[in-house]
Amino acid sequence: MAQVSTNEFKTGMKVESEGQPYTIVSNEFVKPGKGQAFNRVRLKHLTTGRVVERTFKSGEKLEVADVVESAMRMLYKEADGVVFMDESTFEQVKIPLDNIGDTIQWLLEDLLYDIVFYKGAPVTVEPPTFMEMRIVETMPGERGNTASGRVLKPAVTESGAKIQVPIFVEQDEIVKVDTRTGEYVSRVSTQF
Amino acid sequence: MSLPSSKKIAILRDRAAMLAAARLFFANRNVMEVDCPLLTAGASVDAHIDLISASNAGEIRYLHSSPEYGMKRLLADGIGDIYQLAHVFRAAEQGKKHNPEFMMAEWYRCGFTFEEMIHDTLDFIRVFLGDLPASIVSYRDLCKRHTGIDYFTADEKTLLQLIKERDIMPYDGIEEEGKDALLNVILGTLVEPHLGRGELTVLAYYPSTQAALAQTRLHGDEPVAERFEIYYEGIELANGYHELAHATEQRQRLGEANDQRISLGKAPLPIDEAFLKALEKGLPDCCGVAVGVDRLMMLRHNANHIEDVIPFGWSTA
Repeated sequence: MAQVSTNEFKTGMKVESEGQPYTIVSNEFVKPGKGQAFNRVRLKHLTTGRVVERTFKSGEKLEVADVVESAMRMLYKEADGVVFMDESTFEQVKIPLDNIGDTIQWLLEDLLYDIVFYKGAPVTVEPPTFMEMRIVETMPGERGNTASGRVLKPAVTESGAKIQVPIFVEQDEIVKVDTRTGEYVSRVSTQF
Repeated sequence: MSLPSSKKIAILRDRAAMLAAARLFFANRNVMEVDCPLLTAGASVDAHIDLISASNAGEIRYLHSSPEYGMKRLLADGIGDIYQLAHVFRAAEQGKKHNPEFMMAEWYRCGFTFEEMIHDTLDFIRVFLGDLPASIVSYRDLCKRHTGIDYFTADEKTLLQLIKERDIMPYDGIEEEGKDALLNVILGTLVEPHLGRGELTVLAYYPSTQAALAQTRLHGDEPVAERFEIYYEGIELANGYHELAHATEQRQRLGEANDQRISLGKAPLPIDEAFLKALEKGLPDCCGVAVGVDRLMMLRHNANHIEDVIPFGWSTA
């Protein structure tokens, strides 16, 4: 299996350490004075999302993790998981809710998601960075309350995500959301 | 990733002005410029510095990792105070603050005490970074301040436990490498990042086991090396010594460095006999220091990567 050395470590690379799959978050070369050079590497566990810090002697090698990503369309939710379909093979896979985690709030039927497979098994679901979705629940906006800049109010999207939107956004409007932070980005004009 | 060319040219123009200012600094102090060869037959032997070699019609030469050996031969010949602004080379040292080829300002002052050399170096750094305050703290005190542990009395088990408690997973096999390897990781992760915050921090009086080419003396019961490093904003800028003049001890340390290289699975390097011969002849009592010029330029320009302050980084050189 392929290996990578510490000086080839790049953010986003998938590696295996002590039998566990990780994504490299950051890699810093450290060499105090005349001492042994080492790398301080932050690794995010592929399935649990836990971030750990490890040091490696510079030049040390890690196995490249057997990770494949593919775009799959979401079909439907079941009690214990969500079913996705591969666009080219029409193959269907059910991903357990445990592996979906917080991403569940960004799942909409018929949309494409990046599914990460580790050793052939689906482990995580990545939503598109920006998604457009309908607001299904929010309080009517109060007028005359915008003098102090952007004032936000809570809202629920059609995918079930609870976000903050500016007070001028009304129910049934479509908005653009950044799924990394859950922040409102803009209104999406539809009828006009 | 790389800077737009207009920004880069502005930085290079400033770099040229700073190199002129550095030369003026030395001229004002009667320190003479020399340019010892970059490619030498004998190598600088260091356990943790790997050299880049070149071939001259089949004859192996080494790109120097510092102009030290050549400069010391001149010192033994009685040349007096000298400096060299040299490109130096260190294999595989690459990162935001490291480029395998970088510029070093190295100089030697005859008859200077260790403390005088620290002040000379601080003055040089201030040419680049302005009139910053400075504090001089011992290795032992700094370790205590940032880890709560006295490195001198602590055993290897305690040091390893400290590393693990702070959630730093040490690399495999560190236990076999001994106390200095543990201290190295502690310094690099728990101490260094805090040094030089708003001031120039001089880390002085290293453990004698990390003396490299420095003289040693006793601080009470603690044998220390007259060696210092200077940090600003967590970045290491300078490494200075009250130079070891003893040829026999120097030969022994080079041998030990080669033994350590072999135990780390690296090839031993040829001993520079001309350098040792010069020490036998007699090195005047002197202090020497090496300062990373590119790092000074990074700090001057708030640069995030060393590539931003040199004409071309390693990947595009």
